[in-house]
Amino acid sequence: MTATVSRFEFNLLRLLRGLLGAGPIEALATVVYADPGSPPCLSRTAVRLVEDTLAKGVVARLVRAGGWRVERFLRTDGPVTGRAWERLPLDERRLSFSGHSLRFLMWLTGKKPTGPTADPWDCSPHELTAGDELFLALAFDALKPLGDVTPVLAARAAFRGNRLAWLLGPGEFVTQAAVVPPDFAGWSSGSRGAMMECLQPLLAERWLAGERAKSQIADWGRMRRQGEAEAATLAGFLAACETAGRPDLARFLLRTARIVLPAGELRADAWTAGLQGSGPPRLSDRFATRRAALAVLAAVATLQKWDQAARRVGYFDDGYESSQVWKADWEAAGGDALADRAAAVLLQVEPLAAGGASKGTP
Amino acid sequence: MSRAYRITVKESETRELRGSDEICTKLELLDILPPEDTAGLLKGALAERGFQEQADGTLTRQDGGLTVTVDPCDGTVSVKSEVAETVGLEARRHTSGFDDIGPSEKAIRERMKGDLKADLDKKAEQESTRLQAEATAKLEKHLDELQPELGRVVNKVTREALKQKARSLGTVQEIHEDAEAGSLTITVEV
Repeated sequence: MTATVSRFEFNLLRLLRGLLGAGPIEALATVVYADPGSPPCLSRTAVRLVEDTLAKGVVARLVRAGGWRVERFLRTDGPVTGRAWERLPLDERRLSFSGHSLRFLMWLTGKKPTGPTADPWDCSPHELTAGDELFLALAFDALKPLGDVTPVLAARAAFRGNRLAWLLGPGEFVTQAAVVPPDFAGWSSGSRGAMMECLQPLLAERWLAGERAKSQIADWGRMRRQGEAEAATLAGFLAACETAGRPDLARFLLRTARIVLPAGELRADAWTAGLQGSGPPRLSDRFATRRAALAVLAAVATLQKWDQAARRVGYFDDGYESSQVWKADWEAAGGDALADRAAAVLLQVEPLAAGGASKGTP
Repeated sequence: MSRAYRITVKESETRELRGSDEICTKLELLDILPPEDTAGLLKGALAERGFQEQADGTLTRQDGGLTVTVDPCDGTVSVKSEVAETVGLEARRHTSGFDDIGPSEKAIRERMKGDLKADLDKKAEQESTRLQAEATAKLEKHLDELQPELGRVVNKVTREALKQKARSLGTVQEIHEDAEAGSLTITVEV
């Protein structure tokens, strides 16, 4: 069947496919940076094609990101093993999209996001459906290689309040002012919880990339703000997982820790080696920066507390299934050794610890 | 014919300037005894080193211009360095005025006073930066001395905690301490 669409609609559909991972986004840079203006509306054919691409493309992205893996996750009646479509009930796999997703696409296609005449497209995060939040987070993640687009998007409420976008890269939201991550309540259950299950490998990949890139950060202020954003994001997300009894959704953090904390001697300098100069004049700021750089390692202590709590749960206690799953995850990742290594690295940036730093410089 | 005259305005003031820096960390206390018992041992060890208990339960010691505060409940240590100085600041500006054209002498003086205020603020900022650097340097130097001292306090608390734990397990037969090797051997009959 052949469908006819206008050039604008053609570019919009190309962009949509690119945002959902069909090819490198750099190839669509000309579309993103173009400023042809938006038509008042789209043709019926184009709307149908957008609906179809969103419905199939978002699901395909979730499946490719990790939904295809046979994994074990917690459900209300105990752990279930299988691929996403085998273990998740249909109502949790169902996604709906509001007009905001389409309006975002029209804005991105029609306006140059970094241009001075950029249309002030935005919306309240409360108006977004789970499907919208997922699509916008995936779009935000896909646009990262373009560099100057994500800071423009991060300033908008629709993205600043998007919890998944924060989890996929809190560093993107770092600005000169302190930015508070959104509340993660509700992201451990229903269709949002199902998304989190599918996105575990992608989240691990992004956090790992973030940890590896830290050694390239030269600016002390940037390092501190990024670390503080990461710490606040992880604290909020882990608290939400704990409240919902879903420690399995923090598995990506365990996977990240397993790679960034290999056996052998580890130096805190590996995270802060790129910092240039002697840093801020105040010693307290230098230590705060070095501690912030190790935000992911500090979060391992929370995971260890979960393991210690899980060990105390008896067979007839509430949360037995959840504790068993977490104990298995913790043991499989060599959690105790990871926690020891993380603590040893964290100790190196403590001013009064034996062998710790005393000047706060790398 | 215009006659030029020279205007000199001088401002001076005395300011109390401060520079401070502070670090916070935690002592590496092992969970051998219940926290309240460990806190008791830590209080004793710190009191021997001149720390004084405050109304809020923390222990504090003044080391020169530095204040070392330890919370025995959770082992949090804060070391605060503060440098205060009364600084005399002076600024002077010159300009020329004409008796027949341009602004009046009064207006010129008013404008210069505003400029002098900015000059004094700038000088005060420079002095504050100097005091800040002084406070940080003092803190850095003191940390080098404090680190081994608090290490010895932690070792003492750990030794005492082990002895108490051993006594709670059974009859202590023998305690052997080797200060050089840093080892402690306790033989307990259970």
